[in-house]
Amino acid sequence: MSKPTRTSGKAEVNRRNFLARGAAAGVGAVAIAGTGTQEAAAQNGSVKWDYVADVVVIGAGVAGLPAAITARDNGASVIVVDENFDIGGRGILSGGRVQVGGGHALQQKLGIHDTPDMLFNDWVRFDHSESRYSDRDLIRVFADENVATYDFLIENGVEFIEKPIRSPDASTVDRIFVTKEWHIPSQVYAPRRGRNGSGLVRRMEESARKKGVQIFLKHKMTSIVREKHNAGRVLGIITIAGSNPVNIQARKGVIIASGGHTGNVNFRRIFDPRLTEEYQQACSPYVHQGADGELAAMDIGASLWSTANQTADEAAQITKTRHIGCRWGYSSLVYEPDSPMFQQARATGLTVRDWQNMIFVNQNGKRFWDETDGSHGFFHAAMAYNGDKTKLNGGGPIWAIFDADAVTREKWKPEPPHVDRDGYFFSADTIPELAASIKNPYQKAAISGATLQETVNRYNGFVASGADADFKKPTPLYKIERPPFYAAWTTPILHDTLTGIRTNTDSQVIDIRGEIIPGLYCAGESQGGFAQHGLTRCIVFGRVAGRHAARRQVAETSGSR
Amino acid sequence: MAKEPDGALVHLTVSEPLPLEVPAGNSVAVTVSASCPNRRDRAGMAIIVTAPDGQATTYALAADADSVGEAAVIALEAPPRIGEHVFRLTLPAHEIAGTRYREAVLDVPVRVTPQATSLAVWDVPSPVVADTRFVIKAGAKSAANATLARCAIEVCDEAGEVAGRGVLSDAPLPGTGALYWTDIPLQAPPTEGVATWTARFEASELDLPHDGAQTSFSAAVVRPPEHVLSVKVIEQATAAPIPDVELRLGAYRGTTGASGLAEIALPKGRYELRVWKVGFEAPPRPVEVGADAFVEIEALVVPEEDPDARWRM
Repeated sequence: MSKPTRTSGKAEVNRRNFLARGAAAGVGAVAIAGTGTQEAAAQNGSVKWDYVADVVVIGAGVAGLPAAITARDNGASVIVVDENFDIGGRGILSGGRVQVGGGHALQQKLGIHDTPDMLFNDWVRFDHSESRYSDRDLIRVFADENVATYDFLIENGVEFIEKPIRSPDASTVDRIFVTKEWHIPSQVYAPRRGRNGSGLVRRMEESARKKGVQIFLKHKMTSIVREKHNAGRVLGIITIAGSNPVNIQARKGVIIASGGHTGNVNFRRIFDPRLTEEYQQACSPYVHQGADGELAAMDIGASLWSTANQTADEAAQITKTRHIGCRWGYSSLVYEPDSPMFQQARATGLTVRDWQNMIFVNQNGKRFWDETDGSHGFFHAAMAYNGDKTKLNGGGPIWAIFDADAVTREKWKPEPPHVDRDGYFFSADTIPELAASIKNPYQKAAISGATLQETVNRYNGFVASGADADFKKPTPLYKIERPPFYAAWTTPILHDTLTGIRTNTDSQVIDIRGEIIPGLYCAGESQGGFAQHGLTRCIVFGRVAGRHAARRQVAETSGSR
Repeated sequence: MAKEPDGALVHLTVSEPLPLEVPAGNSVAVTVSASCPNRRDRAGMAIIVTAPDGQATTYALAADADSVGEAAVIALEAPPRIGEHVFRLTLPAHEIAGTRYREAVLDVPVRVTPQATSLAVWDVPSPVVADTRFVIKAGAKSAANATLARCAIEVCDEAGEVAGRGVLSDAPLPGTGALYWTDIPLQAPPTEGVATWTARFEASELDLPHDGAQTSFSAAVVRPPEHVLSVKVIEQATAAPIPDVELRLGAYRGTTGASGLAEIALPKGRYELRVWKVGFEAPPRPVEVGADAFVEIEALVVPEEDPDARWRM
């Protein structure tokens, strides 16, 4: 088994092709315009590699760690890079719900009948939003690899709670099994809040390190080096560690497992131009799904795939906030004050028990939908054009407006550390003063006190009459009348990345002409083809990618696959 | 540089567009910059700010990365009188490296506006029986946190007639910054429907100029109750009583107690009974009330939304 190595000095690679390509240098110079100097260097054969390994994995999360372990199990030397200061990606903050079936040992133990074919048939159902737009070639592999993936997790130390949970996904039998939370709270980031995914990624990290995988944290991949801009095999990656470039050669393959694009405003607007900057990202501020893998792959010709999953009005690409009055009030994730992330998160948020306790207003101070609804109809209304001529896309911030009685009913303490008074939570003695107090980077113009007052008065009239004449909120229950009054950030928050880079069933990246990019792989949320919420698609295709890359026979010619 | 007979010119500029608009009594921070074509260093020199009442305050210029010359952040406090006022900024004549600079003056016009006030109205009972008395609470707040004790709030009905009046408390409402409040007794109109009143606050008695404020509030006005509708809400599967269920029949309302029972007084008529409690579901039930009646509602337990289950069909 070979190990990754630091090159002595700065070895020049691919020198042999330098002279052969010299005649085309002028054309190449045009073709690579816009890419960095390192990429340009790669294309003229003069990248100086700082490290070399058989397989280089971008991202130490739910896809990257199994990719690295599997590549190592298949004899490859492996380097994993991650831009973050610790491993885990979004997986470390997940609920640890692994959607794994096909008839594995735990299912058998619990008497759950399942087969790969049953699994396949569920995940290609036309009548379910999670499966309708699946790439069925990928689903076939997914189904056939599920049992082996369960075995892989057990072999690498992952522990499951031996009781399945039900979820409204496409499955017709119990397949969701929850991993046990990691036992060291300071390494969980959101301890005591059911972040059982920490047990999944920490166990895989532990196993990967034992097996000799090298993990380079705080190394941000900036580009993938290919022999030619849109041709030839992939040679390695360029990273930045602090302010220092670190170039890592991959003898056999580079695996993109960088975790999706949700945090990249420009990229996500490819799929939905309404998703402007005010929409925050689930699992921030621990992770930033910056589309680094997608961009680097597309820079060298990769194609997107299965974008219907991202754009259909059915999936979990956007969610209602559950914790209001903080910037990142994602559904089941709370950073408590003792979390290492709390200083950045700044508040836990006020957890909403009953949406009847408030109204939502847009950036103009007007209601726009039934507050008790959480459907895509709600999101469409929240993102609707509302007259801001300086901002035609996106709907601007959404504020929950409530009163002292709502605070009593919800048993809230509307003060730090529960709320973030630096732009995401406000209070005042009257509604007009509340409107005047709202100041936030995404709230471009002040909310008119008269407008907000009119909105509240009108709603209070609906409560008196018992019917919401504007938005049909079922039985509007409570007036907003007792001072003090509150405004809490409740702008919808973005969640899953549901489209990404096209791959074949071996996780090899496919370019925009349908050809394999030799030596480049993709798995996880950056991979297109699935709308499955959860962790298993990442683990399965991480394994597939790691195995194929490690076994790949690299010829000296650029046409090797 | 051409010699000016009275010395060279220095330009004073301010960071904000003029005239400034400032509520009475408020202070506004403005950056004033001093510059001349040959870029002399005037750090440490004094800028004199003369307020409309003649009072002068001195500020020191300092190097400023955002402007060509030196700058000082000055505070202009709007006088407590509505209208146009002028603050005069003066950089006295001075000499630098043998060059004499004449006195520089910039007049900063300030338009002083009234402070805002705003209102809150709460504890408005609903429904109220036609032609009966009820009491609401109303409070007024000054944007400048001025004391509004002993000022009055008036309430007018839909015809614009004064329907009630209250004198504000000596101390703000506990839990608020400066919301002065009062009880105001009112009479419900004789006809059914949703009635709206307007609360008004006149600010003319205050020393610091304030604009007045008004807001509206509403209540359902109903016929006198004739019967009692007893509603019991139980779990469909176990028949266990469900407390704290909100019940609504149009404007009529009730909440179940520990035994799952609520009694709602209402007149004869047809209603739609709606129930609401997080974690339970029951469809609306048509109810016809012609005498005292009892209705049992079976509610289905709906497990709290699984925060990790993202969506349903």
